[in-house]
Amino acid sequence: MGGIHAGHYDALPDSRVVAVLDIRLEAAESLAETYSASAYDNMEKMLAEENIDIVSITTPTPYHKECVLTAAAAGKHIFCEKPIAMTTEEGLEMTEACRKAGVAFMVGHVLRYFPEYAAAKAMIDNGAVGKIGMVRTSRGGSFPRASGDWYADKGKSGGLVLDMLIHDFDWLRWSLGDVTRVYAKGLVEKAGEHKDYALVTLRFANGAIAHVEGTWMRPDGFKTCLEVAGDKGLIAFNNDDSAPIKLAFTDSGRAGNAVAVPNSPLAEEDDPYRLEIIDFLKAIKREEEPPISGEDAVEALKISLAVLESIFTGQPVEVLR
Amino acid sequence: MMKRIRVGMMSFAHMHAGSYASCLEKMPQVELVGVADEDEARGGAAAEAHNTDYYSSYDNLLKQDLDGVVICSENYRHLEMTEMAAVGGVDILCEKPISTNAADARKMIALCREAKVRLQIAFPCRFSPAVIHVRDIVREGRLGEIVAVKATNRGRMPGGWFVDSRLSGGGAIIDHTVHVADLLRWYTGAEAIEVYAEAGTMFNDIEAEDAGLLTISYDNGIFATLDTSWSRPKSFPTWGDVYMEFIGTEGVAGVDAFIQRLDHYSDENMSYSWEGWGSNIDMGLIRDWVDCLDSDREPSITGEDGLRALEVALAAYRSIAGGKPERV
Repeated sequence: MGGIHAGHYDALPDSRVVAVLDIRLEAAESLAETYSASAYDNMEKMLAEENIDIVSITTPTPYHKECVLTAAAAGKHIFCEKPIAMTTEEGLEMTEACRKAGVAFMVGHVLRYFPEYAAAKAMIDNGAVGKIGMVRTSRGGSFPRASGDWYADKGKSGGLVLDMLIHDFDWLRWSLGDVTRVYAKGLVEKAGEHKDYALVTLRFANGAIAHVEGTWMRPDGFKTCLEVAGDKGLIAFNNDDSAPIKLAFTDSGRAGNAVAVPNSPLAEEDDPYRLEIIDFLKAIKREEEPPISGEDAVEALKISLAVLESIFTGQPVEVLR
Repeated sequence: MMKRIRVGMMSFAHMHAGSYASCLEKMPQVELVGVADEDEARGGAAAEAHNTDYYSSYDNLLKQDLDGVVICSENYRHLEMTEMAAVGGVDILCEKPISTNAADARKMIALCREAKVRLQIAFPCRFSPAVIHVRDIVREGRLGEIVAVKATNRGRMPGGWFVDSRLSGGGAIIDHTVHVADLLRWYTGAEAIEVYAEAGTMFNDIEAEDAGLLTISYDNGIFATLDTSWSRPKSFPTWGDVYMEFIGTEGVAGVDAFIQRLDHYSDENMSYSWEGWGSNIDMGLIRDWVDCLDSDREPSITGEDGLRALEVALAAYRSIAGGKPERV
């Protein structure tokens, strides 16, 4: 994700990459080289030596807090990947630290910038389905492989509920309002076996119900679905049906990736990761609160944590504001 | 001469009666003896449509030396109808759900056992070729160990007595839980042990719930969710769906029982609709039941099967009332 952020900052007219930090210096060096930037493996050193306005944080989740607090103390604006933290206390502490330091803080709940989800939200707001009754979302593919296999360490990633479904939880909260109660079943404990799956029921303050599926057990590519049913209509989307490109090769070696990726290319100006960074830069310039605040991220995290609690206890869990 | 199997229809209150009667008409060994219905207009029209006689009295129909009756009354009358047929010594195919409550369902099973009458419940999805195909894949272990199932049985709001809980036993949950609850037992041999449900009246101005979402835990560790909502808008291209996705340690299998269709775009009424071309699952159900009538075997789908499926829906209603998971 760090590479994606760097590419967008570099491509935008008002920002450029001046330094790359990674505990593995060689990883920092390799990305830094692309942007003729400096490489560091020590955050304090980087903040002291470089003239930096913004820090983008794309570490594994457990390191978010330390990085945010350090950057805030140095007076830097902060863009932090989701989930904001592993606990709501940490998330609130990070949010408060940024507020006290007077720096902009935005969390990358990028689903809000995916055109299909942004359009669905706009349609809901325009009354396209009337009063919402039932929403169904689905997300997932095969088990993600990442550096150090950190997704398999549920203590680090929180499994798919914390790392992936938080996207849907944030979008649902953004679109339907606060969640009051959750109930869920899942396989969090199987993360070590490279398997995770969850079926989640959410109840909203406005009475609506949502069903959220998360899977890291699909061998047939990454899939997302959304259906919103209301008393005046229904909107539905799935990435298979709406993919404009479908490729098949007789020589499997030429297909490239072993895992098929839904092929829905967008123009550069519609790239969701670019759009979230543009909004972040705009908020800094206008000295406004960024569109996805630390509080928003904490609320999404609360839903994820309530879901995990429900999975572990087998009971419905109230979500408190 | 081929032995004629004499079948009667008890009530056309449920819309599936028409389809069952059409299937019976197509079978040369079946004689559709008559339609009984206290609603003369409804029963008379049905009898005419299916080229048979109308009876204003259920007893008179049952006196016609029948081999079997199909009960398609309102759910709450299934016990009363079953009792009449059992007294008459006639085998029964009863529309789902078996009843509105477990006590009536148990009484139906007991009455039929005492009268030595065979009671079958109408779960036609068991006769969908796609559903059967995926059942075989699951049973053969080709998905590895099944860990979870995601299912939907959604529809449009049916209206009429279906939304009057005194007659139907509830709303979308009792209407749409039992098909998938039956299929999951049939696929895996597992029994539901606990149900959590959220529900509400979200789409229509009715008394009964039209949104229902169940989470069902099974005795072998599988968990499943089932969306039973009447959430399909009037403009939806089809009546609804029966969809199940099985998540296994070695793979995933989805089965969409009614997806075999033609898309129809019509300028005539500016509509888009689906025209199904899949096998008629009611025909499978009726053929199997007639075969049962013609032999000494037990029905493929018993009253107990109907009760087990109903119990999942009843646990869902208790969960909604109590706000917590309920034992089945």
